This record gives sequence, C-alpha cells and structure tokens, in this order.
Amino acid sequence: MKVLLMGHPNVGKSVIFNRLTGANVVSSNYPGTTVDYTQGCMRVFDRDIEIRDVPGTFSLEAKDKAEEVAVKMLMENPDAKIICVIDASKLERGLYLALEIIERGFPLVLALNMWDVALDKNTVVDIQKLEAILGIPVVPTVAISGEGISTLVEKLIDVEPVDILDISNAIKVSRMMTSPGCAGCKGCSLS
Amino acid sequence: MRISLDRMKYNQEGILLGINNEISQHLAGMGVRAGKKIKMITREPLKGPVVILVDHASISLGMGIADKLTVEVDE
Repeated sequence: MKVLLMGHPNVGKSVIFNRLTGANVVSSNYPGTTVDYTQGCMRVFDRDIEIRDVPGTFSLEAKDKAEEVAVKMLMENPDAKIICVIDASKLERGLYLALEIIERGFPLVLALNMWDVALDKNTVVDIQKLEAILGIPVVPTVAISGEGISTLVEKLIDVEPVDILDISNAIKVSRMMTSPGCAGCKGCSLS
Repeated sequence: MRISLDRMKYNQEGILLGINNEISQHLAGMGVRAGKKIKMITREPLKGPVVILVDHASISLGMGIADKLTVEVDE
C-alpha cells in the first residue's frame, strides 16, 4: 500500500512523516521546507506501507517547481491513499485542496493538524458533521506531540474513495437543515 | 463603493467581488475567492506586495494581481 502526505505548505506534513516512520526529515517553522520528496516505510498490522512526504501545494494547478513535484507525484501514483494535512485553524482554505484530490478519485483521510493551535484560537470544528458531509475520516492531530497519529493510521487502512457529487449533495442537505426557510440552495430539486 | 484591491487603505475591510478566471485559479487554493470578506493589513512601499487577511490567514499579493481584484467597500 502506498500513502502520500499532501497539504498546504507549512502545515506539518513532514512532522507527521517523521512521526509515522521514525525518520528525521528536516522540518522548520516556515513554508517551503520540503521541495523534493522523501520516502519511508512503516508496518501496520503486518502490512508494509510505503509513505511519501510530498512538498506542500495550494492546489493541483502547479504554480512553481515544488508544486509541480507534488502534482506529478499524485498523478504517478493512481493507486495511492492520501493523507491530506490541513491547518485546523485555517480549515476552509485547506479543504479546497482536499476536495480537488477527492474529485480525482483518490481515497483520502483528513488530518486536522495543529489542533492545539486551533483550540488556542477558539476555532471550533464539528468533526462529526464534517465527516458526515465529506464521507471520509477526519482526525484531529497534534503532530509535534504525536496526538491523533495512531488514529490517523487506523482510519487510513480501510479508507475508500468517495464521489464528489455525494459531498455536494450532503452540503445542500446540511444547508437545508440549518437554515430557516429557503436558503436558495436549490436543494429542493434533489430527489 | 467598488475599488481595486491595491487602493484599499490600512485596516479597511471589504468583500471581494468577481475574480477573472485566470487569476482565480492561482488564488482559490489560498482561500481567496469571490464573496470573501477581506481586510487590508499591510502595504509594502515602492509598489511592494499587499497583505490581506482572509479567514484568519494573512495572504500577500503582488501588485500585478492586487490591481486586478475588485473589492466592495463601505463609504
């Protein structure tokens, strides 16, 4: 099984990689530290898993060399499972990349990293609702202390790809349930 | 009132209006999209980059991009 660690620059992909593999990849407190990929291995429930630490990218339309590496790696590994790492305190902008990857048919687990920072900033994320809407596992993690990493691996083992249309329908339904009256979401045309 | 993003004042808030397709591909991944509430927090001198706040994330935009974005501001 192949696993790619993807996400924005400076969200902690390399720290998670080090946690998973016991390696000691350079990580620093500024974006763009990883420009090439590193590969590692781990063994979970007697299965060998190959993990790659991918350079950070904002979207799948590459704008610089490091992003090109990231997009190329994704395209060259169509059978890979993805851990998409998101800065929990900047959830919305990270979801853009996650949805792009889901749209291309990859099975994906969402890691809401820097969960401790998000709590400090009073950011509240309803994980259960997010999981219900996206149909994928969402795991809060604190990579530097190791919190949530084992849950992340457990969920990764049986993750399946989801249809982007199911997500778009789930969002419409969720809007209908939370808004009084017509939200103009055209959800009523759903069968 | 509608102005281009590079003409916003310090700490001025506004709503981002339509972005043309080519630039939006660049910016969407960073959370800069039409309809977003933004706040101008820094403008570097000598036609340097503009820094805006979008959803608690600060994003720096070059002048070449900032002057192509339209913002709806109060006044």
